[in-house]
Amino acid sequence: MSPAGARGLVALLLLFAVATARGLPLAPSEVQVLVGERTSLPADDDPSWQPAQAPDARVTPVAWYRVAFDAPASAVDQGWMLYLPYLYGGGQLWLNAQPVTVVLESRADLRVRWERPLLLPLPQAALRPGRNVLHLRAVSAGEPGIVFFPALKVGSQAELQGAFDRRFFVVRTLPQVTLVAGVVVGLLVVSIWWRRRQEVQYGLFGLAAILWALRTTTFIFDLLPAPLWPLWRMLYYASTGGFIAAMALFTASLTGRFDRRLAWALAGYVLLGPLLYGLGGERGDALVGRWWVLGLVPVGVSVAVFSFTAAWRERTPGNALIAATVALATLAGVHDYLLASGSTALASRLPEWSGDRIFLLHHAANLMLLVMGLLLSARFVHSLQAVEHANETLEARVAEREREIATSYERIAALQREQAVQDERQRMVQDLHDGLGSQLFSSLMRAERGALDSAAAAVTLRGAIDEMRVAIEALTPDDRDFRTAFGNFRFRWDQRLRDAGLEPSWRVDLPDAPLVLSPDLALQVLRVVQEALTNVLKHARATEVQVGLSHRAGELELDVIDNGAGPAAATQGGRGLANMRTRAARLGGRLQVEFGRPGARVVLAVPLRAT
Amino acid sequence: MSTRVLIVEDEPEFLRRFSEAVTADPALHLLAAVSTGRAGRALLEAEPVDVMLVDLGLPDMDGTELIRHAVQRHPGCDCLVVTMFADDAHVMAALEAGATGYLLKDATNERITGAVHEVRAGGSPISPSIARRVLARFRSSPAAASTPPAAAVVATSAVPSPLSQRETEILQSIAKGFSFETVGEVLGISQHTVVAHVKNIYRKLAVHSRGEAVYEASQMGLL
Repeated sequence: MSPAGARGLVALLLLFAVATARGLPLAPSEVQVLVGERTSLPADDDPSWQPAQAPDARVTPVAWYRVAFDAPASAVDQGWMLYLPYLYGGGQLWLNAQPVTVVLESRADLRVRWERPLLLPLPQAALRPGRNVLHLRAVSAGEPGIVFFPALKVGSQAELQGAFDRRFFVVRTLPQVTLVAGVVVGLLVVSIWWRRRQEVQYGLFGLAAILWALRTTTFIFDLLPAPLWPLWRMLYYASTGGFIAAMALFTASLTGRFDRRLAWALAGYVLLGPLLYGLGGERGDALVGRWWVLGLVPVGVSVAVFSFTAAWRERTPGNALIAATVALATLAGVHDYLLASGSTALASRLPEWSGDRIFLLHHAANLMLLVMGLLLSARFVHSLQAVEHANETLEARVAEREREIATSYERIAALQREQAVQDERQRMVQDLHDGLGSQLFSSLMRAERGALDSAAAAVTLRGAIDEMRVAIEALTPDDRDFRTAFGNFRFRWDQRLRDAGLEPSWRVDLPDAPLVLSPDLALQVLRVVQEALTNVLKHARATEVQVGLSHRAGELELDVIDNGAGPAAATQGGRGLANMRTRAARLGGRLQVEFGRPGARVVLAVPLRAT
Repeated sequence: MSTRVLIVEDEPEFLRRFSEAVTADPALHLLAAVSTGRAGRALLEAEPVDVMLVDLGLPDMDGTELIRHAVQRHPGCDCLVVTMFADDAHVMAALEAGATGYLLKDATNERITGAVHEVRAGGSPISPSIARRVLARFRSSPAAASTPPAAAVVATSAVPSPLSQRETEILQSIAKGFSFETVGEVLGISQHTVVAHVKNIYRKLAVHSRGEAVYEASQMGLL
């Protein structure tokens, strides 16, 4: 990492951290260090004292620092304080050889790692105007056995409180927020994945969020019972590696390059770290902390390279955002690694910044989670819209199909109606041809050879007119209700029979509902009745005639009863009877003729289903 | 006093036939038998006429026009339309013009004079399908549901009250195919009263149709 890049990163990411590094009230005028185990405060003339800088880092379990500063006369009255940005392993503090305070160190039954900054009041009695000397015992927090000595500051509370609060917010409050938010969001997203297993991204993102929340506990618990320490350390490694791996897979998945083998390989590497630590103990810790963590860096870098390529190939805002965030997180990861391993490369180039020891990956990861969450919710909304669109399309297609079906049904129905009309017309033409036509033609022939006198011609023509009338009666009713047609028929014949001196009576026994018959059937039925009545008029010499119409059990029954000559009339009306039988047969019905003394009874029964 | 009859028929055969039938009846007086609508109208103006027999297909005008004229100018004159097949369309047109009965062209002499006497006595026949059409005609009347300004116009032109309950019942029964006899029995009135009702209905139909024409004309802004 270039110094310029590091500076850019600093400027971009953590403006608040800058505030902690400037405007400090009073820096030490002189710093000395004594490396080595001493149970009590080393003497000032101990030859092991060497000059040093603040901040400082030493590979040793314990180091003593002697710090001189000049206090103004007002300092004693103001009540000065000492600000320590960090003191990871704890230790002890003296002012002018008087003990000030003890910060807990790790013991056999307790592990400490103080992430929080310390703001300690300096006792008024010990502080004096002019030169003062502070002695600080600093202990390594364990792995990798390095003592970190901060750039401590002394001053009034008013001058120091702000810096302390800012650092406290960054190293303590923010992680607490991250822990809660990460667990809540992670569980929500994982529950989505639980119901929709094919959406791997949700699973990976939720896993990453939860792992990150677990990792964040590192910054929250300052004190831990010793037996839990290894477990917690393993959890730390597993969650750190797991988070990076999950994010890598998530990025791959977002850009459509998710690979199951890659997932297994990464999962294997992630589990390797905690496993090594668990097997190797303290030695394993050093190994894992230095080398296993280093192995995670190429994972992050390759993800960055990969997402940059994707963003380059397909320039969508989403891809660009992923690439930028991943790059940022990778840089932060490298920075943290250098910082944690006490690398001189960073310390020599950015002494002030590295002395503050602000770990960045933590915040970069928060940003990354935020960006990924945004992208995921955008995808979620997009897929909802896609579903809505698909539904609309589907509905439109269904409606279209319904219209098509309705149209073709209409067409079929129209064709069927047309066919029915054709059939009906055909039957009627045939009927006109056979009935009225042949009647008129035979009369014409007879008239032409002089065999038709005027009386016979009148009979023939009246017959023809009757034919036409009955046809009009059968075809006229708009409603096709046979009751109307029969009523019109009756209306005409009643008058005619009365005019001929007969006493007609009509008996109609039909249900109230309209009786719909095809025009052809109606015509044939009326013709049979007309023929029967004509016979009565012409031959029967009757005085009364009874016409009955009834409908029951699917049959239409018509009867004509007269009180005339009976069988004697039948011989003359033979032709008419034959006609009536033919018509009845055509309708699938039957005609019965009974003769009494006197009178005759003609019964026509027609099944209505047969038409 | 004998019934004065005017015959307007363009076919000579039928004209002769009807004339013979009328002259053969001592109770009837044949005023004239003419073959054009114009002549018929001139006669109506010149002489009082009791019954006019009119063919619909006249050479110089539509028979319905002559009927309308007669009904409007000479309310005492009964018009009988002469039709070949008594088909609904022709009969309805004549009834709406104001005819109160109809005759078939091939009717016997007795039927012809019988119809004239019947209509003078205040009765008219009606077939089921005509009854149905008349009912429909009254039902689809827009005048009954007209808006106030239009109603004012219609009211001045003497739009009829709708059919009475009894008249509607009669029409409904006949439309169902019941004979006059049965209708009379069911309603507890004589057959004679039934035909008298029918003639009344015809009158209302004519007035109603005219009222409707006025209504429609006012709607179109012609009045």
